Amino acid sequence: MKTVDIANRARRSLRNAKARTILTSLAIGVGAFTIAVSLAAGEGARQYADKLIGANVNPQVLFIVEDSALFDGGFQQPALQEYNPDATTTGNGATITQLTQADVDELAERDDLEFVTPTYQPQVTYITFGGVDKKFSADVATYDPTIMMESSVGTLPELGEQLADDAIVLPDSFGDILIEQNVIETKDELIGMKVTMTASKPSASLSSEEIQQAFMSGGQAAVVALASGETREFGFEVVGLSKQSATALTGTTSMQIAASKARAISEFTTEGTSSYQKYLGVTALATEGNDPEVVKAELIEEGYGVQSARDLQAVIFTIVNTLQGIVLGFGVVALIASVFGIINTQYISVLERTREIGLMKALGMRGRSVSRLFQFEAAWIGFLGGLIGSGIAITAGTLLNPWITEVLDLGEGNSILIFQPIPIVLMIIGLIIIAMIAGWFPARKAAKLDPIEALRTE
Amino acid sequence: MIRVENLTKTYGKKNNTFRALSNVSFDIPDGASVAIVGKSGSGKSTLMHAMSGLDRPEEGKVIIDGTDILTLRNKTVDRFRSEKIGFIFQAFFIQANETTYDNVALPLEIGGINGRERKRRVEEALRTVELDDKLKQKAGNLSGGQKQRLAIARAIVNKPSIIFADEPTGNLDSTTGAVIEDLLFKLNKQEGSTLIVVTHDHDLAKRCDMQIYVKDGEVERIDTKKGRK
Repeated sequence: MKTVDIANRARRSLRNAKARTILTSLAIGVGAFTIAVSLAAGEGARQYADKLIGANVNPQVLFIVEDSALFDGGFQQPALQEYNPDATTTGNGATITQLTQADVDELAERDDLEFVTPTYQPQVTYITFGGVDKKFSADVATYDPTIMMESSVGTLPELGEQLADDAIVLPDSFGDILIEQNVIETKDELIGMKVTMTASKPSASLSSEEIQQAFMSGGQAAVVALASGETREFGFEVVGLSKQSATALTGTTSMQIAASKARAISEFTTEGTSSYQKYLGVTALATEGNDPEVVKAELIEEGYGVQSARDLQAVIFTIVNTLQGIVLGFGVVALIASVFGIINTQYISVLERTREIGLMKALGMRGRSVSRLFQFEAAWIGFLGGLIGSGIAITAGTLLNPWITEVLDLGEGNSILIFQPIPIVLMIIGLIIIAMIAGWFPARKAAKLDPIEALRTE
Repeated sequence: MIRVENLTKTYGKKNNTFRALSNVSFDIPDGASVAIVGKSGSGKSTLMHAMSGLDRPEEGKVIIDGTDILTLRNKTVDRFRSEKIGFIFQAFFIQANETTYDNVALPLEIGGINGRERKRRVEEALRTVELDDKLKQKAGNLSGGQKQRLAIARAIVNKPSIIFADEPTGNLDSTTGAVIEDLLFKLNKQEGSTLIVVTHDHDLAKRCDMQIYVKDGEVERIDTKKGRK
């Protein structure tokens, strides 16, 4: 018997048992719905994460360190290590070998890297705003031109451009604090305001000769001044307030200044210490036309630890994939339940149609063809279930997307449920195969039916 | 020609056996109309099943056109039934949910006859039984007589050389039954196919060229129009 004829008969006999067909398909539909939604949510989350990273991180960016132990927090290290003058101890107790200025210069000379900027750690004693006496303390960081930032007040440089030497960017929240502290009345006042940072160099250990010299030249006051270290003021002008945007990956709580100034401050405060011109890491961009992954591999070969934008993406994708896997798991559980539904329905169908099967076999239909007839019916049920499930998922997802975007504050034009045709088609094909496997047991029963028994009229 | 030789069929196991057929032998000439007559449980149905290749008795031979069908492989027997045999049952066994067309098309689908040829044959068979105006009707909506005519159309559509009719008029009133009988005998003469009617209705049996009386699994006697054998 021709496959097309079997498929047609299967379709007709399902149509003749509409209620049962639809109910069984619905069971599969629940699984299909869950899977379709999890696929769409995974895709949506990945695209959103991609957009997020794309908007925030230059894909060419590389973070280069001397010691890749920094990336895992140094957990793999032995507790006691040989002293290394280039090493520093991080907040969680890991000893990290730092990059020296020589390393930085070497990296800067490479023609596959540009914007080589070490992570300066400028530490200031206090900060004053607009000549008001009130002293504040805050974290100061280097402005990162590779990250896109939005301003709430004022203007920030374009992506890829560094701040002017005397410019400073404050987080938007600083404006609120300064209003509370009666330094300013509106945030607009901040633009153009002078900000002064006072940094101090720790006192050097003085030799008795130096003390003697100072005493002789300026008396006791000169000795105190010499011992208390040196302070220097750095002046800035506020150009803008940075705000937390919907697609901003990290909210910064630091005041941001140009790299040159950050360098000046950190070199001033560390001069004469072992930390002078030592850096935890370096951010750089692979130059246009150079694959950051290739540059990364080369740098790793040379002994550096390197992370690229893709590594950051991989971390986020791992989270997305795990969550998607969980939802997918629910879908699979629903499918397993529906498989028993198919087996049950098809067994009943075989019982109901004993005579029809008997007649077909009496008329010379092969057991294999009978078996295929029932498997095709199961396949149709799987196909219908897939259509129903994905249809409902697509309709509901499309209708709910704007609402979800609003509730989760994802930003205009972002959808968390993105339905792609190929995974859905593959899912429906998968469901058809699963349904056929489920239909195999009843189909075998039908194939083995004895026509004489089946056609007994009593 | 159909030759049945020493056919023996036993049901049950060892101590609790029941002989449905015991050493049955006879010959049926091509194109004849034959009645297998007997009471319920006499073994007439078992005999029909054996002759049509549905059942496999452990002893004996059923030789049709020179081949012992009991020695054939399952696949070959299925094809033999599909090509050479037509069945008509007391309870019709039509598929009520399908159209008359699809009911009649079933043997052709099984036989792998497609397209235009299938359509032509289905329409011809339905015309023969005068149901060609009910092509698209659900078989379930037909009357009893129409249902049996539909079953006849299904039995003749693949132009079988043998038609088995198991109590073909058993579920019909006498007027309708008579119409069906006339149709069966007319087809038997026109198409030249062998008609084997299984029945306990002696009036129907008498209209056949040959009557095989079965009792307790044995052939009691065989009558032919020419005289008792």
